[in-house]
Amino acid sequence: MSPLILKLILHSTWQTLEMVVASTALSVLLGLPLALFMIATGPQGLYRLPFAARLMGMVVDAVRAVPFIILLVLLIPVTRFIAGTSLGTEAAIVPLSIAGIPYFARIAEMALREVDSGLVDAVRAMGGTRMTIIRSVLIAEALPGLVTGVTVTLITMVGASAMAGVIGAGGLGDLAIRYGYQRFNTTVMFGVVVVLIIMVSLMQVIGNSLARWLKH
Amino acid sequence: MNPILDIQHVTHSFGQHTALQDISFSVKQGEVVGLIGRSGAGKSTLLRCLCALERPQQGHILLDGVDLTTQPERQLVRIRRKIGLVFQHFNLLTSRTVAGNIALPLQIAGCPRREQADRIAELLELVGLKGFEKKYPSQLSGGQKQRVGIARALAANPTLLLCDEATSALDPESTSSILSLLADINRKLGLTIVLITHEMDVVRRFAQRILVLDHGRLVEDGTLLDFLRDGQNNRTLQTLLADIRPSLPAFLARTMAATPSAGPHRAIVRLVLSGTDASEPLFSALHERFGVQTALLQGGVTTVGDHLSGDMILSLEGDRTEQALGHLRTAAQNMEVLGYVPSHS
Repeated sequence: MSPLILKLILHSTWQTLEMVVASTALSVLLGLPLALFMIATGPQGLYRLPFAARLMGMVVDAVRAVPFIILLVLLIPVTRFIAGTSLGTEAAIVPLSIAGIPYFARIAEMALREVDSGLVDAVRAMGGTRMTIIRSVLIAEALPGLVTGVTVTLITMVGASAMAGVIGAGGLGDLAIRYGYQRFNTTVMFGVVVVLIIMVSLMQVIGNSLARWLKH
Repeated sequence: MNPILDIQHVTHSFGQHTALQDISFSVKQGEVVGLIGRSGAGKSTLLRCLCALERPQQGHILLDGVDLTTQPERQLVRIRRKIGLVFQHFNLLTSRTVAGNIALPLQIAGCPRREQADRIAELLELVGLKGFEKKYPSQLSGGQKQRVGIARALAANPTLLLCDEATSALDPESTSSILSLLADINRKLGLTIVLITHEMDVVRRFAQRILVLDHGRLVEDGTLLDFLRDGQNNRTLQTLLADIRPSLPAFLARTMAATPSAGPHRAIVRLVLSGTDASEPLFSALHERFGVQTALLQGGVTTVGDHLSGDMILSLEGDRTEQALGHLRTAAQNMEVLGYVPSHS
């Protein structure tokens, strides 16, 4: 493997990590409140607003229904508005996050729904405010599930970021297509696949042990 | 003295289904009350009303003079802090240690961190789990979890402790220890306890007073002794009492007749004794006065609340059995001749 190829792979790995970590962070930051909103306004929630819950659910599903490659192109004006440009690694974080937010929101919603309603009742009966319940019961008890959700989102973002080459974002996927596929460079193709396997496996292992540690 | 808890004509329904119908009773400071009923009798709904999680559609619930049914939600949040609740399935936060779980009501009440640690140590001592601060609920047995649940319920110095089937998920041994812990807490702290259960055996152990709920109505209010004495014709009571009453051995029931047979026979009687009667030398008295041989077939004397109570099935044999039965009829709280069997059967 020539130093040039190594440099290319390293550079692309860095770009992929940048996209994946930034978009997952944004997905969690905005997706978790969204999930809490759907749970809290739901039929058994702390603030019953079934209409709002259903509306939010529809928006979430609508975004999730659009394939990422289409979303990427569809969101170009939005990306330009938010990031100032529609090209490059930083710009790709916008569509990746917009796809990631509803994705993580649904996963987080499932994790939050798993929390025993008896615990919510217990803290409510103790005179806990709704904020206490959200913080000390819902989030605290769902934490192992939420961590698993973050792991799944990270890995999904690795996959999605491969398509970001379409808007010139670079990354491992882009490298594999341009050098590995279009120029028949098997070494690059092979290298990229190995790096991706290692990256995803590490994420899974770290996520799993963190979730297990949190589970007591 | 004003009652600590006063329930007045509480009615609540879910759609067409009436869960509670015109329930009225009051509980005095320091009293231990057992609220018993089969599943679907309305126990859970009443409990949710008592701890201000549900607002009854009609009637009033006064806790320490404050009407829970008219308070706005903001006030109810404060009032709930004065009601300790112990759950069937413990409902401990798995994400927190034992200390963290007990600290929760203290944090909610805004207790300073320094005082929390002292209070937690004190509570753990009280429930017999000294040194368990750093353990997680998953490392505890059912009985230990319930002790943590009780410590948590007591943390914010409640005026009332509600136990919702607190022992139903426990094995018999843990049930006994949890019940004696609750009795202990009642004695030491003078805390009013309302015990909700479907098991007569649980309330029998230490409830001073028993309320029976059936199909959303309060059908009985009295002591266990009252029930044993007067419950003969009450179907609801009979079903509830069946769990804890001695029953006639099947082999005797088969040979039993309503009238004495011609040959030598034994009278089978059910006897309910209370208080001082239960500790009297009854059998020897029967022998001395009537020359009657008495055998205990089933049952015996147990502790109910603070005194003894006897509920037993006896066989009496002798020439003057009828006189002996007459004596028992006046001496005992309740005496019932179940029938007669031939001797040596």
